[in-house]
Amino acid sequence: MHDARDAEDTRLLEAGEYAALVESYYGVILDRSRIKMRREDDAVAVAAEVAIRLLSELKRGRRYRVPFRVVVHQVIKWKVKEHFAPGKIDEVELEDWLRKASTESTEELEAERGFEGLIDGLTELEQEVLRLRYVEDLDFQEIARPLGKEPNAVHQIHHRALTKLRKDAA
Amino acid sequence: MSEVQVETLFDEFATRYLRGERPDVREYLERAGAEREDLGALLDGFLAAVPARKPTEEDVVLVQARLEQQPPILLLRLRRKLTREAIVAALVGRLRLDPAKSGKVDRYYHDLEVGLLDPEPVDRSVWDALADVLGANVRGLAALRPEPPPALATYLRRATPMQARLMESADAPAALADQGPDEIDRLFTGSA
Repeated sequence: MHDARDAEDTRLLEAGEYAALVESYYGVILDRSRIKMRREDDAVAVAAEVAIRLLSELKRGRRYRVPFRVVVHQVIKWKVKEHFAPGKIDEVELEDWLRKASTESTEELEAERGFEGLIDGLTELEQEVLRLRYVEDLDFQEIARPLGKEPNAVHQIHHRALTKLRKDAA
Repeated sequence: MSEVQVETLFDEFATRYLRGERPDVREYLERAGAEREDLGALLDGFLAAVPARKPTEEDVVLVQARLEQQPPILLLRLRRKLTREAIVAALVGRLRLDPAKSGKVDRYYHDLEVGLLDPEPVDRSVWDALADVLGANVRGLAALRPEPPPALATYLRRATPMQARLMESADAPAALADQGPDEIDRLFTGSA
């Protein structure tokens, strides 16, 4: 799911096109900031903080063993947290995470990211329904066929899976 | 709003997003009403998990404007390599205004561009014309008004209420004393 995007990120990193790389994430940075902030100017302020941090990291030569998108989402998470509870603790935690991401094994750091990470806590059947719906872009009738289920049953599984995701996220 | 409706909103957002559209998270959160937090949690998890889409021009301008401490509409115009005169001429033409009053349109446009004019009462036809000329959702950009320069902010903090009012009125281009309110005033301030 992420291969093309990761390849493009690697190309931009290797070419030293840091501004273009960070800019290519402005959409998702803003969207995630908007979800967390009630006011548009707060969302834009947080998005700018994220962009500044990512650019300064790249410009000082930091490289990561995790895909760049993982770093982007981690910085968003921390900058949002910092907005609500300003202080140095989050900055220390972020610095520690970034240092680990640039020097240590990537599996643990990457595990929580990506679509597989999102649906990790669901049953196999629930995972398959969400994968077919949101990765393969199939409708409920199309999902029902390979699973040998009725479309209504697929609806219920889909509903159960999203309810679990909502509870996990809350 | 029920649990099922939140899931319907999420499903609609997710499928549109994966088909290459850029659904507006603000619109979906608004539609969720009291369930905003629940929908937000689902959308946040989803956006963190799927490949990021290319940003829109508005996204780029909003963040860059903040980074460069420039008003977003001004930054958009500069990115388009358009002069203020060109924008004003286009506004006069599209809104069928008297070309002799271009100077007045220019003053209003300048104030709108740098965030000195309240965008709320500006007529929809002005936003539509600007969107055509600048090729972006200018109304959305105008919602984010730049902070005043530090020196001005310091001055405003120190000025007495009367001084601040005098300064604001000196900056306002509206209702030129020699001509009185007209169609241009109505378009930019809602009053004529």
